[in-house]
Amino acid sequence: MDESAISARNLVKKFGDLIAVNRVSFDVKKGEIFGFLGPNGAGKTTTINILVTVMKPTGGEAFVAGHNVIKEPIKVREKIGVVFQDNTADRYLTGWENLYIHGLIYGLKGDELKMRIEDALEFAELTKFKSVPVKNYSGGMMRRLEIARALMHSPEVLFLDEPTIGLDPQTRARIWEYIRMLRKEENVTIFMTTHYMDEAEKLCDKVAIIDHGKIMAMGSPEDLKNSLGGDMLYVKVNNPMDEIKEFAEEIVRERIALSYRLVGDMVAFSVRYASKAIPPVFELANTFDIKVEEIKYTQPSLGDVFLHYTGRELRDEEGNWKDLIRMRRAARARMRR
Amino acid sequence: MNEGGILLAMTYRQLKRYFRAKSRLIGTIVNPLIFFLFLGMGWSFSLGGGLSKQLFGGIDYLAFLAPGITVMTIFTSSLVGGISVIWDKEFGFLKEVLVAPASRTYAIIGRAFGDSLTSVLQGAIVLCMMYLLVPGLKLEGSLPALALGLVTALSFNGLGIAIASKMRSPEGFQLIMSLITLPLIFLSGAFYPIDRLPSAAKIIFYMNPLTFAVDSTRYFLTGVNSIPLIADISALIILCIGFITVSVRIFERSTIE
Ligand SMILES: Nc1ncnc2c1ncn2[C@@H]1O[C@H](COP(=O)(O)OP(=O)(O)OP(=O)(O)O)[C@@H](O)[C@H]1O
Ligand SMILES: [Mg+2]
Repeated sequence: MDESAISARNLVKKFGDLIAVNRVSFDVKKGEIFGFLGPNGAGKTTTINILVTVMKPTGGEAFVAGHNVIKEPIKVREKIGVVFQDNTADRYLTGWENLYIHGLIYGLKGDELKMRIEDALEFAELTKFKSVPVKNYSGGMMRRLEIARALMHSPEVLFLDEPTIGLDPQTRARIWEYIRMLRKEENVTIFMTTHYMDEAEKLCDKVAIIDHGKIMAMGSPEDLKNSLGGDMLYVKVNNPMDEIKEFAEEIVRERIALSYRLVGDMVAFSVRYASKAIPPVFELANTFDIKVEEIKYTQPSLGDVFLHYTGRELRDEEGNWKDLIRMRRAARARMRR
Repeated sequence: MNEGGILLAMTYRQLKRYFRAKSRLIGTIVNPLIFFLFLGMGWSFSLGGGLSKQLFGGIDYLAFLAPGITVMTIFTSSLVGGISVIWDKEFGFLKEVLVAPASRTYAIIGRAFGDSLTSVLQGAIVLCMMYLLVPGLKLEGSLPALALGLVTALSFNGLGIAIASKMRSPEGFQLIMSLITLPLIFLSGAFYPIDRLPSAAKIIFYMNPLTFAVDSTRYFLTGVNSIPLIADISALIILCIGFITVSVRIFERSTIE
């Protein structure tokens, strides 16, 4: 237990008939960035809510920073910082005021508090905007403020629920930068969720792929991709179908590729290393009198991994569409106020 | 657990928000003033001095109405403040509190206290106007009236928080406000004396917490009242403790579901 910053055992959360989190178990080592990758409704936020003690699980147990989230919620709360999926800063207050309130709530006071506020503002690069009401902040500024705020009381474990949701590519890149910097400078364990593959791939030491409340696969991004068996090699040929099949089957028989599929006028070979497979493929093509018009290869992405383990594509469009609805709803509610 | 810190934090937040939201500040003052002007001036002229004094225990109708208007201001503002905890839920600020290692009891008390201070400030503004518009109000009554106003504000802020906890979304906010505020105000003796009502009707008035606030404030400002002061004050303090306790209980159980 000493090694793990977070450990979850068979967590279950039911909402009526819906099983939002289904026997989820995992361990996060100290100092690691651990990511939950999954589409909308996968159960990411529900898992975070349980881990940060604001929701009771239907079953299972979890430990954060060595404390049981159900039996010792206060102890857990002392050790964590949380950035929720939706912004929780007070929109009518300034950046400085939001940090001040946070500091007071976490028992900071006096000069110590003032100092930490300035540090947080500097870290978030918001010193210039500290007296501006948060409702005038851009999405990226808001997110940076919230991350800096969650770190103000030096937590051992930081939870980030979709830290870059709804942000434009540049802002997302900047937040990534920021999270990496964090890990280097603050020695904090990070548990994050995302439905962006690139984000999981670029930031996380370890990724759990979650769908319909279940962890489908877990490992480092490298290991997950390697678990698919290597690269895809696409060979575009111009021959009658039976000749192509004969050629492809021979390649598999020779163990140059693990398997093949016909995709239009392409043959897709699944190979361990594309660069090593290309010369023998050319050789055999010559022997079989196959006219190779084009050859290309791809390394599997986490998206392919997702497809492999869930049988579905992790499409960003779907995410964006839902994000948009969510943001519109929030904006409307804001206007009503 | 951190108690003083979160109490201060929440009070600070409510005060800051109050001074930044000008429209809410004006909104809860304008309404009572409209009542005062149209109802007060109208009746005051129709009744004339003599008849009015006979009806309202020896004072002019405007003087009778002034305490009611002041209490109405404090009451509406504190109820709105309490119910507005629903926005904290909707906009997530509540989560920031729930996930902190701090006392929730003191969080909600701090919030109620900050809100109540602003409500009393609203009441004080209206009361100043009353002193300007109505001759003969007792100046020395202002401090005890506002002190009891704080107790009133805390009570109704607590009630507001309790109501908000039963609301799933902020959609019904306006409806609930008008369903609660208007009947309570009309049944509080703010606009007419309750002495001559049939006893069955009186019971309804006595069940309304606002009655005690109006009655005691009227006593402080004009010397006229229909319920013994000690009964008013006891009732208000008991109510205040009751409502705040209920809201604390509810808030302590909060999780995000
Ligand atoms: N309070 C609730 N009551 C009922 N159902 C809920 C509740 N919260 C979540 N759910 C359902 O549980 C499932 C998991 O939701 P969750 O919010 O954990 O997903 P998520 O992975 O965070 O997705 P998103 O990308 O939309 O944030 C969804 O089907 C959701 O509709
Ligand atoms: Mg979510």
